[in-house]
Amino acid sequence: MARGYNHKIEQQQAPAFFVRGSSPFARLVFFSSLSLALIATDSRLQYLNGVRQTLVGVLHPLQVLANAPAQLYGDVIEYFVTHNHLLNENQQLKQQALKQNIALQRLSTLALENNHLRQLLEANQALVESSVLGEIMHVGRDPFTKKVIVNRGKVHHIIVGEAVVDAKGVIGQVTRSYPLSSEVTLITDKSLAIPIQVERNGLRAIAFGNGRDNTLDLPYLPSNVDIRRGDKLVTSGIDGIYPAGLAVAAVSQIEITADSPFARITCAPIGGVENHKQVLLVSIPHIGFPEIVDVPPSPVGDLPATKPKMSPSIKPVQPMLEKPQSGSTSKPYAAE
Amino acid sequence: MQQSKLKTIYLSLLLAFICLLLPWSGFMLTIRPEFLLLIIIFWLIRAPNLCNVGTAWFAGLLMDIATGGTFGQYALAYTVTAFFAVMYQRRLVLFSGTQQLVYVGLLLLISQISLLILKIFAGMQLIGWTYFLPSVTGVLLWRLAVFFGLTATGRSRGT
Repeated sequence: MARGYNHKIEQQQAPAFFVRGSSPFARLVFFSSLSLALIATDSRLQYLNGVRQTLVGVLHPLQVLANAPAQLYGDVIEYFVTHNHLLNENQQLKQQALKQNIALQRLSTLALENNHLRQLLEANQALVESSVLGEIMHVGRDPFTKKVIVNRGKVHHIIVGEAVVDAKGVIGQVTRSYPLSSEVTLITDKSLAIPIQVERNGLRAIAFGNGRDNTLDLPYLPSNVDIRRGDKLVTSGIDGIYPAGLAVAAVSQIEITADSPFARITCAPIGGVENHKQVLLVSIPHIGFPEIVDVPPSPVGDLPATKPKMSPSIKPVQPMLEKPQSGSTSKPYAAE
Repeated sequence: MQQSKLKTIYLSLLLAFICLLLPWSGFMLTIRPEFLLLIIIFWLIRAPNLCNVGTAWFAGLLMDIATGGTFGQYALAYTVTAFFAVMYQRRLVLFSGTQQLVYVGLLLLISQISLLILKIFAGMQLIGWTYFLPSVTGVLLWRLAVFFGLTATGRSRGT
């Protein structure tokens, strides 16, 4: 198109094809700086948490609408599950219940005994945590992170920091709670750390999500550490967030190389991190616990040695607790 | 006329957003095209007087809310993409069908690369080449739309 011709058109009523308003470059500059300001505000300051919660709350009906077809499909499929299958399952469940009943009987005596021993030691009672059953609505949409959205939120008294478990073990932690849903970061996410203990020998450490595949890493453990393949890792409970003794992962690979002072330990999660729909949100066993804002791992009253680099804001919460535990700081896992 | 067209635009954006909200998972999540961005590019080319860089910014913000990431990341990526889309919008009429596809593919790549840069700055883990698959599926979706007679330039062509 010739330039003069173009000019003539704009003087008359210009067709929609040519109308543009202010220059795209000006808009680019304006909106880019706006975005950058938003990124800076959101990642460094916490002002936008309330805004996000409101917006997600507003979007929730839309989300339900979008989930409806899949939900319907699932319901229909479920309806047609054969009678036989259900019978089988019933049988299995009965057996399982029986087994668990027996285990439970033993557990109650153990709990009594434990109680008694604790009283002897004058130690605090382990709290019994309450929990809420939730259902995974959908997998997180950000391809960079491993998150799921669960259909329980602020309304159901879900707060940030709660542990999320399934029948087999821990699968993650609530990192954001919206009015009617909450975001759960899975233990395999890179940003999530979880304090664990090797069930066999009580060795404490911190497991970090790998992020790339569905595994966890146990970094900063010396190459002569007493961990074997197949060792079961359970939550240690000293962070005050996860109830103690929940299964987290099993050691799947140990690599000891001459060029590194640390062992490279890879673990596979025990809980069905990627394959369940129902999950249990276990409330934090601590009362008056400060709300964690962003970074999930928050070892409150933790040993200084086991503290991950993140969340410096929560460090001075319980200086009292550090004293009796300081004897164990000489454990071999003391990280730099 | 303009009013009704504006309504169409917002309705299509809403539909694209609902498509995005569908419970994608696994492999489908990996290849899920960027519905919202595709619709934005379409309207940027077709009706630049009604849909501009600002619209793209708002759409990006919507994406940020939906993905739960840091506010502004998708918004910035979409803004940059929209700028390039508008830059060459007039020239696009002269493009052949294939050229148009390449152009749209490049736009989708631009958005993904700018998002990647922002995510790397935020300390995210790289996820390999599969990250770029949505661009490919996006182009395919565009081709499908053209096949069904929906052209961004507003006139049907032979190819």
